[in-house]
Amino acid sequence: MIKGKRLVRLGAVALAVSVLSAACSKSGSGSGGGSFQGVALTGAGATFPQPIYKQWLIDFQKVEPSAKVNYQAIGSGGGVTQFTQQTVDFGASDAPLKSAEQAALPGGASSALEIPTVLGGVVIAYNVQGLQTGLKLDGTTAADIFLGKVKTWNDPEIQALNSDATLPPTAIQIVHRSDESGTTKVFTSWLSKESPTWSSQVGADKSVQWPVGVGGDGNDGVAAGISQTDGAVGYLSYDFAVTSNLGVAQIKRDSDGQFVAPSVDSISVAGGILQFPISETTNILNSSATGAYPISTTTYLLVYKDQKNKEKGQTLVDFLYWALTKGQDEVKTLHYSPLPSTIQQQALPLLSQITSGGQPLTPSSTVKS
Amino acid sequence: MSASAAGLRRTAASVHLSTRRKAKDRAFTIFLWACGVLAMLPLLFITGYVMAKGLSALNIDFFTKEPAAPGQSGGGIVQSFIGTGLIVGMAVLFSVPLGLLAGVYLSEYGNGKLASVVRFVAEILLSTPSIVAGAFIWAVVVVALGSFSAFAGAIALTVIMWPIIARATEEILRLVSEDLREGALALGLPRWKVILRVVIPTAGAGVFTAIMLAVARGLGETAPILLTALGNDFINVHPSQPTDALPLRIYEYARTPVASQHAIGWGGALMLLLGVLLLSITARVLSNRQQRRTR
Amino acid sequence: MARSRLGDRTFRGVSALAAVGLLGLLGLMLWVLASGGSRAFAKFGFGFLTGRNWNPVFGREQFGALPFIFGTLVTSAVALALAVPVAVGLAILLNEVHSGWLRDPLAVFVDLLAAIPSVVYGLWGLYVMKPLFDHRVEPFLTKTVGKVPVIGALFRGNPNGGDLFTAGVILAIMILPIITAVTREVVAVVPRDLREAAKALGATRYETVRYAVLPYARSGIVGASILGLGRALGETIAVSLVVGNGLGIGASLFRPGFTIPAVIASEFREATNIGVHRSALLALAVVLVAIALVMAALSRLFIRRSAKLISGGPPAGERERPAIQVAR
Repeated sequence: MIKGKRLVRLGAVALAVSVLSAACSKSGSGSGGGSFQGVALTGAGATFPQPIYKQWLIDFQKVEPSAKVNYQAIGSGGGVTQFTQQTVDFGASDAPLKSAEQAALPGGASSALEIPTVLGGVVIAYNVQGLQTGLKLDGTTAADIFLGKVKTWNDPEIQALNSDATLPPTAIQIVHRSDESGTTKVFTSWLSKESPTWSSQVGADKSVQWPVGVGGDGNDGVAAGISQTDGAVGYLSYDFAVTSNLGVAQIKRDSDGQFVAPSVDSISVAGGILQFPISETTNILNSSATGAYPISTTTYLLVYKDQKNKEKGQTLVDFLYWALTKGQDEVKTLHYSPLPSTIQQQALPLLSQITSGGQPLTPSSTVKS
Repeated sequence: MSASAAGLRRTAASVHLSTRRKAKDRAFTIFLWACGVLAMLPLLFITGYVMAKGLSALNIDFFTKEPAAPGQSGGGIVQSFIGTGLIVGMAVLFSVPLGLLAGVYLSEYGNGKLASVVRFVAEILLSTPSIVAGAFIWAVVVVALGSFSAFAGAIALTVIMWPIIARATEEILRLVSEDLREGALALGLPRWKVILRVVIPTAGAGVFTAIMLAVARGLGETAPILLTALGNDFINVHPSQPTDALPLRIYEYARTPVASQHAIGWGGALMLLLGVLLLSITARVLSNRQQRRTR
Repeated sequence: MARSRLGDRTFRGVSALAAVGLLGLLGLMLWVLASGGSRAFAKFGFGFLTGRNWNPVFGREQFGALPFIFGTLVTSAVALALAVPVAVGLAILLNEVHSGWLRDPLAVFVDLLAAIPSVVYGLWGLYVMKPLFDHRVEPFLTKTVGKVPVIGALFRGNPNGGDLFTAGVILAIMILPIITAVTREVVAVVPRDLREAAKALGATRYETVRYAVLPYARSGIVGASILGLGRALGETIAVSLVVGNGLGIGASLFRPGFTIPAVIASEFREATNIGVHRSALLALAVVLVAIALVMAALSRLFIRRSAKLISGGPPAGERERPAIQVAR
């Protein structure tokens, strides 16, 4: 009797152990023969490209079924922080790494790659009764507005750029981001380039001390804030502004004085001046390419050159290759701008720097077909 | 008012029920009832609204599929339910033994200075905002393990649930009459057997109730999970990987501009609310039954 | 005999370990948070608590916590101002008014309010309460109370967007249950004799409550309010969704604000360690633990005092709260 009970107990323990160990073993790639199936990855970072990244990841999983890539949009700052802390497999940031952030990487500066993926733009959106479309602005005027120097819409400074429009005397209400955001960084970087006053007084970063205005959480917070107040003006990422009903300003180009409205194409063209290697000052603001929208930006995926886990590294290389090739075909439907082919051709070779155990990882056949 | 009381009133020294006093009394009564109504309104309003908005989001996909791409319809949050089960399940595994044993100590052996200090510390932990537990566990577990994980989330919840279960267990065990203990001891049972075989079973339903309430609390916590489990769009059963949780998913969906995600968020809120209310009501019913039994 | 002694010792030891483990937990938590926050304290010293600027931009870093301390205090004050009168009224209603059919369901309802998760309050607050307040309640208040001198300054300002007032009201709803529950206990313990004596003298319900009940319950009500305050100070998720994330300090309740727990939740995952941003947030977490300590001590003091007043000593077993009340 006792022996029987003991046997049953032993059997139960053995069963539990085997079940537990099976459950705890990480899901591996499809073994033996056939194509690489990918493995689960975790990434975190920018909210700006989140819609296109999520779409990409769903479509990429059709190519490599075991590649369950979990992307959580916690903000560009979060992407860099968690990437540095190595709590995620890849990061996403709208801004290139600062030199201090490079230095803080385990493995030191240049131990990670910054790969541009899509382009976007920042638009100045407004809600002014009596001024439906066609507001024209330039950098200096925009800076003065956001500095609080220009207080009403019929101010001479604005009138000078919009001689054919009747501007109402409504007070200007600024709406800015209250959370850290790559969109803020791009916008304030552009304002800093255009206005020395802005540069010294406020500066450029994912979050700044705004001289005037109210804060909104995220793009939708800002859009809501603008739409609720007559005379309000703020900045939004282009893909978001397209679906809102707010007026969008045309911006004057520094290079040829033309006014350009933001569009998928005018932003895409701006990407042409992207310089490799990516450094902390890399940007595509005020692009000299013809017809380029001045307040454009690219967004980056951050990956370590030396991948400790070979399968994760392979999945990353495959995903990046796919994103830079097939993925580019999908971006326009979501109001993002694809990389110009010149830039795409310069980004792809970056992938060859990714190695694991000393061996370079090349994109598998699944994504090269 | 009975005749004798009315008579008492009339014969009481210089006291008479002036209109002014009557008016004050009436106003006071109205105020009291207003407070009652004011207290009921939010609950009715919130549960009603969550139900109305949440019901339309509940369908088969909601419970069985993972999220669709933003902007596309369909999809669900099956991974949130599984993730919550994983994280809270592990938290229960860790915090119940710890809390029960601590509660037993405080109740059965806890008449000295050490016990008073422990009690005070438990109250400090109870009053500490849960975001602090999240920050603490991020610094210790997430960084050390190199990954956000369900395990880290469970530890963060344990930090919150352990003192709750400990204090509640102590209160409940103290309600068990001393005679019961003395009787068992007189029969020759060693102290530890008295506690395990007599005291705890007698308090049985009460202890179970305390655990249920702690679980209800753990189910609804967002802040600690936010910093430790990261979230996941896919089902995850590995304790060492980032995992989704229902409150976390609701929080994230509340902040996006995507309408379809808002709708799912309401559905999630409805499920969470139902789960928590169910636990609380069951705990209350059990506790009432227990009280009636020991009366 | 020896065997059971061993069993006793082991059991006592193991349970003592679990209890003392709580001490270790608090100690470890304080150590981790304090060592993480030390860089921020070192850099800004006392100015960390009194500084008005919070600028995470690397190269211009300024971390002053005053806006968050201000926001935390203001939202909690609004919450208490709204919740305490209602809670006391409710507690008296449940104790003194004997319509059985309503009393029990009402008591149950209020307890269930305590169980609603913060994120559900937050979702509802963001999509139902906030628009209502932005478009109706706050403009109405500006037009009415806003015109009154001095106090009116609280109710003037741009009603759009999340603000301290909206957060305060949501907090009031959230802390109502615990203040009510403890006040009920406190009021119930006031001896019947006092009440009956008052009634015999011909006192109305109002007078009985005012002269025979409340004076004895006063300490306890303060204690209950402190418990509610503790809950309000620490509430994170619901507040962060409606408070507006603003850094200003001023008279108006309608301006966007920020609280200490909300800023930690909002910025922690993004805070880099190349500067002192993360350290500053960890330092704020230490501040929260310090506040919890003060709150725990205060509430003990007041509820014990109230118990002494009434019965001449603390109840057996140091019962300070209803047994099944799971306080947050």
